[in-house]
Amino acid sequence: MVKVIIYPINSLILSDLVERFGHKPLAMMEKIKEKINTVGVDSPPLNITSEEPKMGLKYAAVEVPAGVRGRMAIVGPMIDEAEAAIIVNDASMAFGCMGCARTNELTKYLIRQRDIPILEVDYPRSEEEGMDFVYKIANFLKSLPLEEKQ
Amino acid sequence: MNNEEDIITKIVVISSDSVLPIDAAMKVYESENSITIKETCFGTMVTGPRASVNRVVEEIRAMDKNHIFVKERGFSPGDERRCRAVRGGGPRPGFHYLREEVQMLPIIGKALDAYDRHIPPAEIHHKEKIDVSKLKDIIESNL
Amino acid sequence: MSTEKQVKVALVSCGSEYAGVQGELEKVTASVNAKLIFPEIDIASLDTIGRDFGIEAASPDLRLMMARARAVVEGITDVDGVFITSCFRCAEAAIVRNEVRRYINRHSNIPVISYSFTERTTAATLMTRMEALTTIARRKHLLARERQSGLTAGIDSGSTTTKAVIMKDDKIIGQGWVPTIKVIDSATEAFNHALEEAGVKAEEIQAIGTTGYGRFLVGEHFKAQLIQEEITVNSKGAVYLADRQKGPATVIDIGGMDNKAISVTDGIPGMFTMGGICAGASGRFLDMTAKRLGVDITELGALAVKGMQENVEMNSYCIVFGIQSLVNSLAKGSRPEDVAAAACHSVVEQIFEQQLQEVDVKEPLILVGGSSLIEGVPKALSRLLKIDVLVPPNSHLIGAVGSALLASGFVEE
Repeated sequence: MVKVIIYPINSLILSDLVERFGHKPLAMMEKIKEKINTVGVDSPPLNITSEEPKMGLKYAAVEVPAGVRGRMAIVGPMIDEAEAAIIVNDASMAFGCMGCARTNELTKYLIRQRDIPILEVDYPRSEEEGMDFVYKIANFLKSLPLEEKQ
Repeated sequence: MNNEEDIITKIVVISSDSVLPIDAAMKVYESENSITIKETCFGTMVTGPRASVNRVVEEIRAMDKNHIFVKERGFSPGDERRCRAVRGGGPRPGFHYLREEVQMLPIIGKALDAYDRHIPPAEIHHKEKIDVSKLKDIIESNL
Repeated sequence: MSTEKQVKVALVSCGSEYAGVQGELEKVTASVNAKLIFPEIDIASLDTIGRDFGIEAASPDLRLMMARARAVVEGITDVDGVFITSCFRCAEAAIVRNEVRRYINRHSNIPVISYSFTERTTAATLMTRMEALTTIARRKHLLARERQSGLTAGIDSGSTTTKAVIMKDDKIIGQGWVPTIKVIDSATEAFNHALEEAGVKAEEIQAIGTTGYGRFLVGEHFKAQLIQEEITVNSKGAVYLADRQKGPATVIDIGGMDNKAISVTDGIPGMFTMGGICAGASGRFLDMTAKRLGVDITELGALAVKGMQENVEMNSYCIVFGIQSLVNSLAKGSRPEDVAAAACHSVVEQIFEQQLQEVDVKEPLILVGGSSLIEGVPKALSRLLKIDVLVPPNSHLIGAVGSALLASGFVEE
């Protein structure tokens, strides 16, 4: 089983496919769950405080807007943790955690910098492309080792 | 965080011709009592201890495995920090993206069926932008 | 004030939840008895909003911002005010934020404020802005008042000076102007001056209004009927003193600590900005310039009018560097007149560069606040914007007059 970071990081389809083929998706939802259940932090709705943009300085310089650094404080560690990645380019519009184009550019860049298996596919626009999309992802996921890494 | 009581929520989106959301709900009622479910416009939210949720979700998925999709959700249903009834106004951003993805699910489901049956994928040809000289010819021939 | 109805403020933002400021936004709205809501939108509009609105922004959240703004304008969501906000230093968001603000302004009567935040933005920073937004939304009838009636007082407890006026039957009959040292002591002193000049006793005053940084403390002390931020009060005071109560106007208030640029229609603020990056763009810099030149602040203006700012290179973007270039130019033998003119120019240049982009400048341009009395300042502003600048009589008393005028709304009640 391999930890696979997905992009868009909140995708239902990617998260489902990764799990379906026996791997662990690294997705935004679980990180948000951790955040909102952090005891003693009360900064609704996401419990992101002014500390997160500071943590984000590990991934983006201080002149990068606070919203980018705040998002990177959550996405960055997922990229660090990933053992494989699936990037869907030209995905249809995502919002919230995926709502900032600058963050998204940086996320993709940092994933591409990692020395891990990476699959990049385009978001399908037709049934044929949909098939191609699923086949590529399925084959990629099948090529990853299923046993736990030591 | 207390891991002994690791309560999670998974959203189960049904894009099936043979299984209705109510069938999925019945499945949950039959099998587990530590789990609560909530119907939404796009699927069923299943909340409870991690192991139980995973077990139930797998059972639901097995009802039509290529046409039922699952992802974990950050907030549990009705969390006041996210609930539109409490916070007023329209839905949170994540809702809009889920709506986008749900529209794609029939295609994904079909593709998974085809993959299982080892049907080879069709060749995809992407249209390239036409050459500038070609465009020039078109313009000239049309003027 | 607690009996007033809760104001619904539409939050049109991208990124505030991820920048650590959402909690602060919620805190400040709650403190002015308002509630942030996320406008309901027509979901299908998201697919085409980029082209429909006209900006095909790469960031989906900015498209959501446009869709939410449109929902507000079209009445799909019923709100009393709009707060548009995005990250400081984001060019893409700044373009959309400004156009969305203009769009709402043009197509509705809903008051709007626009703000770019950093992770350090706190509820306190946003307090005056949010208070103004909710006041405009809930007190329109009070702000419609054009004449002062009865015997009322206004106290403006500013960061540098405290002003007080006594008004009777639409006339100023007494005034006081003292430096702010201890908030209540200075307010008492200014108030007593005004009472003395007016020849009335404190007990005879029918209603008191307070404004400025010390408004809450002073208002509580004098049991004021009206405690109001300076955006709405100064807008009212400016158009009243300039006798331009109807139609559009732009009010610029150069204060001791910050500046306000307000776009006003019929005496009610529409768009406004507060701030200035540094005290270098405020009255404080002029005060320091006067001290360094060895003249009284009241003489700086006359000196500046005689000088040529072009002869001195000065940029007061930061007050420390501003003072440095002032010292340097004097050391190089620059004339005090030129230095004074350059200081005035530098202050208005900051206002132009930092603030005026965010409000639509419409004539008449009314300049108020203590700095407007330094003749070099309106002259420099007029030259920079190439329009006439109106400095109404008693322009330094703007806040106090506005407070006394609005407080008279409580006399009849």
